Amino acid sequence: MAALTLDSIDIVNPDLYVQRGYPHEDWALLRRDAPVHYYQRPDVDPFWAITRHADIVGISRQPALFKSIQILFVTTNDPGSPPPEEAILRQLLNMNPPEHGAYRGVVNRRFTPRSVQQLTAGIERITTEVLDDLAGREECDFVTEVSAKLPLAVIAEMFGIPRADWPLMFRLSNEMIGPTDPEYARNETMIETLQRARMEFFQYFSGLVEDRRKNPRDDLSSALANGQVDGEPMPMFELMSYFALLIIAGNETTRNATTGGLHAFINNPDQWDRLKRDPALLPKAVEEIVRWTSPVIQFTRRATEDTEVSGQKIREGDIVVLFYPSANRDERVFAAPNQFDIGRYPNHHIAFGIGEHFCLGANLARLELQVMFRQLAERVESVELAGEIQRMRSSFVGGIKHMPVRIKVRPRA
Amino acid sequence: MRVVIDHNLCEGNGRCVEVAPGIFELREDDLSYVLEEQPPQSLRPKVDLAVSLCPRQAIRVLED
Repeated sequence: MAALTLDSIDIVNPDLYVQRGYPHEDWALLRRDAPVHYYQRPDVDPFWAITRHADIVGISRQPALFKSIQILFVTTNDPGSPPPEEAILRQLLNMNPPEHGAYRGVVNRRFTPRSVQQLTAGIERITTEVLDDLAGREECDFVTEVSAKLPLAVIAEMFGIPRADWPLMFRLSNEMIGPTDPEYARNETMIETLQRARMEFFQYFSGLVEDRRKNPRDDLSSALANGQVDGEPMPMFELMSYFALLIIAGNETTRNATTGGLHAFINNPDQWDRLKRDPALLPKAVEEIVRWTSPVIQFTRRATEDTEVSGQKIREGDIVVLFYPSANRDERVFAAPNQFDIGRYPNHHIAFGIGEHFCLGANLARLELQVMFRQLAERVESVELAGEIQRMRSSFVGGIKHMPVRIKVRPRA
Repeated sequence: MRVVIDHNLCEGNGRCVEVAPGIFELREDDLSYVLEEQPPQSLRPKVDLAVSLCPRQAIRVLED
């Protein structure tokens, strides 16, 4: 294969993410030779690719200079892509201060470490049930039968969504996050998939809102339905978008960290043995899984005035794209960055972002991953791949759709 | 130096309390508070670590 050059790298084509996963070699080249690189391709709107840890942190700390915009990520311009300025949802990820803080304040106290700790017993119970279903089996699709189940159940219970409707939430989340993937888009274009999924979501949530305004409970649906921003109830579009954001975000990323984490353990059996021998490593192991998998590939920002990033001039209106998995392999920050080391410390990864838009659900994700990997380490006697993994066609979220494994799970102790 | 926390940003992640327990304290309202607003210069490295680790970037150090 020809040596990689700045002209031959490809970091946004979703087909390549299906074929080879994350382009870590391309990012390493960018970090080394062109950390603030103007990326121009015939089928992509040009942008500045930001690949070093320090630059992504610096930009994230200045939300007024680098604003969040409607289009959350860049990808190749497929036919049927939404127009760049069309807001599919109006939610935290494309809001800016002070509006962002006001909206975030509606539910952020429900995601603090202390609040999330109260969910531990429920998360333990769900995880145990998920693994019970595998005991006595020989093979499974680890994604649909394990990784997807826990986050879906947790977020659905937090919202008070009845179990019968969980498959609907699962399907709509997939369609909203992976509208460029043929398995999720079926025969529709990207924009058709997004609009239909949004309509189905909004129909469902408006029923929930109506109910919780009459009969408020202690759940997230009630907190949103009766929540206020600047002393007023939220407008309907923003309220529906908020529901969709939390359901989607609660589903997709933890699922992919779980799948990617087990995949990393399968490829690094010494680390799996290490975790089984020393469960006290669990919190560090979870941070390493999150660094290693970095489920969110990128978010965009727009410069609001002429500025510089690491000496490179950026013009007002230019788009910068923050590539988190690249920051999390930055040689300037991490020793042996391409090694999966569950004892890594310190581990200043930014897979959850940093600053104004730091992942609202980070504490919940950490808890789910800790419970899941503790129970897996306790109960899984052996695990290996039973076929090829299938990746989602997306340059936004690094999704593994299917991962067939041969697995032996001990019955409940 | 003077250490301040922006309570519009703080979400009680508590990383500051982990690395500099004498300077920060997490209270019942799930917000972090500065216990020692003007810590001695010898604690500067701990304060700087807290600043850089804060997920919400809610801590600022104002120079005298």
